[in-house]
Amino acid sequence: MALKVENVELPKKYHDAVEHWHRHNFKDYDLLLKYWDKYFPKDDQFCLCAKMELGTTDVIQIGEQKGEKKRLKPEEMTPEQSGHLLAIIKAQASTEFGSIQQHAATVDRAPEDEDKFWTMRVMAEELRHGYQMLHLLLSEDWSSVSGGVTGEQMVEEILSMTTGSHVLDAFNLDYDSYTDNVVFAACIDRVGKYQLTMQKVCAYKPMADSMPPMLREEAFHLAAGVIPMRRWAQKAAKGDVFVTMRMMQHALNKWVPRGLEMFGDERGGDTNVNFGFKDMKNDEASSLYHEELRKMIRDINTRYIRARFPDYTPEKTEQVLDELERSRGTHHGLAWTDLLRLPDKRFFRRKGVHAFQMVGIDGEPFTDVEDWLRYLAANLNDGYIASRDMKLYAEALRSVVSGEKTPAEAIKSMPRLKRVGGTCPCSKGVRWVMEDADGGQTTVAVR
Amino acid sequence: MPDVTTDVRIRPLDELDLNGIVRINEKITGAYEPDLWEKRVMFYTRRDPGASQVAEANGKVVGFMLGDCRAGEFGLEEPSGWIERFGIDPDYRGQDLGRRLFDAICAHFKAEGATSVRTLVDQNDAPVAGFLKAIGFGESSLAALERKL
Repeated sequence: MALKVENVELPKKYHDAVEHWHRHNFKDYDLLLKYWDKYFPKDDQFCLCAKMELGTTDVIQIGEQKGEKKRLKPEEMTPEQSGHLLAIIKAQASTEFGSIQQHAATVDRAPEDEDKFWTMRVMAEELRHGYQMLHLLLSEDWSSVSGGVTGEQMVEEILSMTTGSHVLDAFNLDYDSYTDNVVFAACIDRVGKYQLTMQKVCAYKPMADSMPPMLREEAFHLAAGVIPMRRWAQKAAKGDVFVTMRMMQHALNKWVPRGLEMFGDERGGDTNVNFGFKDMKNDEASSLYHEELRKMIRDINTRYIRARFPDYTPEKTEQVLDELERSRGTHHGLAWTDLLRLPDKRFFRRKGVHAFQMVGIDGEPFTDVEDWLRYLAANLNDGYIASRDMKLYAEALRSVVSGEKTPAEAIKSMPRLKRVGGTCPCSKGVRWVMEDADGGQTTVAVR
Repeated sequence: MPDVTTDVRIRPLDELDLNGIVRINEKITGAYEPDLWEKRVMFYTRRDPGASQVAEANGKVVGFMLGDCRAGEFGLEEPSGWIERFGIDPDYRGQDLGRRLFDAICAHFKAEGATSVRTLVDQNDAPVAGFLKAIGFGESSLAALERKL
C-alpha cells in the first residue's frame, strides 16, 4: 500500500511497444498475473505504469546548486548536466530491461514454483522500472543534449538491446543456471538499491520522484535473492547433494566483481555529486556495498553452521564463525573454505582502479597469467568459463600482462555486440555489429 | 553481558536483519525458527516495505516490530496500520525501545494515510498486554472471536 504515488501510463504506442517487448522477452508475464493472488495474496495487483512519489522536496539537497529549486525540465539544467543525466537514465533503463532478458533464460529451472514466481515478480517489477525510465525519456524533450536523437529513437534503441549489448557489463552476462537468478538478485539488485537510494536526492525532480516507488519494490528483489540462499545453505549443511555452498560461491565470484564495477571507477563520481544527481561518490558507495555483502555472507554462513551443528547456541555459532574467519582452519570437520567467502575487492576486475590485477578471492596475489586463469577456471562455474566473456577477458588480460596494452587500453578494447535496427525480434532486418575501442563498427551478422 | 548503554538506532527492516530477529525470538522463547521468520520477513518486505522497523545497536538487531498498512479487510475500507509481531532483546529491555519502534512504525502508517493502528493480543500474556496498554492501545468495538473446530 502506498498512497502518496501517482500512476502514469506512457502514450499508447510506447505502452504497446513495452507490452510487445515483454511478449518476446518475458513469456510467462501473463502466467504471473494469472497466479498473482496465489503467490502474493492480498498484495496490490501489478501495474505496468510509471509511479511518481508525491510530496517530495522541491529543493536541491547536494552539489553546486544546493538550496536552489529542483529542476523540472532538461532545459532548466546546463547542457552538461542534462547530457550527463540523460546518460544515467538510459543506462538505468538498459539495466532494467537487461535483467529481465537474463532472468528469462533460466527462470524455468527454478527448483520450486514459489521460487519461480518470486523471480517472475522481480522480472515484472524490473519491467515497470524500465517503463519508469522510458517515461522520463518521453515526458520531456531531451533533443538538445541527445545529439538530435528523438525520444522515440531512444526508446527504440533501449528496447533493441539484448544480453551482450547493454550499457553495463553485469547485464551482458548470460545466466548459466537458476543459481544465477538468485545470486544476481542478492548481489546485483543490491547495487540497484544503492543507486536508487543515491538518486533520491536527484536535482532533476522527476528522477528523484521516481526513486521511492522503485526502492520499495527493490526490497523484495533483495529478499528474493537472500532468502533462497539462506535456504540453500541450510540444505547444503544437511548434506543435500544437489545444493552446495560451492555453487553459490562460484556465482558470487561471477557477480560480485561486476557489481563493484557498476558503481563506476573508484576515482570518480564527483560530477554526479557536484551536479546534485547522487549523494555519494563511487568509492564511498562501492565500499559500503562491499561491506553490506560481507554482512549478507556472514548471515548465510551463520545459517549454515547452525544447520550443521543444531545443538549450538547463537553465541556459540558466532564464536565458531569468528574463529574460522580468523584461523582459516577447521572446526569439527567444517573447513573455513566450506563456507561462503566475500571476494576481495580486487578479485577478477576488468574496470576501475583494480582492472586486470590478478588477485584471488581471499586477496592472494598471482604473478603468472596462466596460473591465474587456471585459478579462475577452478573458481567459476563450467558454463561461464566456456563463455565468450571469459575468452575476451583472457585475451585482454594477456595483452596487459605482456605489456602490449595498458589496463586503460584493455578496458576500452573490450568489444560489445550491438544490435542495430528493429525494435523487436519480429523484425527481419537486423544487423549485429561489433563496436571497436574507437567507436568504429564491424558487421558480424545479418539476418 | 553486552554493553547496552550504546546508542540504539531505529530503522526500517531489511532482509539482512533475519538472523537478528531469529536470535531475539530464540532468546525469548527458546525456539530456533529461521524458516518461520524467513516467511514473515519476506511477507512484510514485499507487502509494505518500509513499515516494519528494527532497533540496532553496534550493528546488531536488538529489537523488531513487524506490521503493515492494509485496507479492505473485515469491512474496514479505510487504511489501518496492523502490528503483528515484535520483540526486544532481553538485554536491551527498559530502554523504551518498544515505544520507539512503535513511534517509527506509526509514522510510516500515518504517511500511508492510516488514522488508526490495530493489533491482537492474548489477554493472558500480561507483559505484552501491559506493553500495548502503555503505548496507548485501548479497547476496540472490533473484537477477536474464536470457535473451536
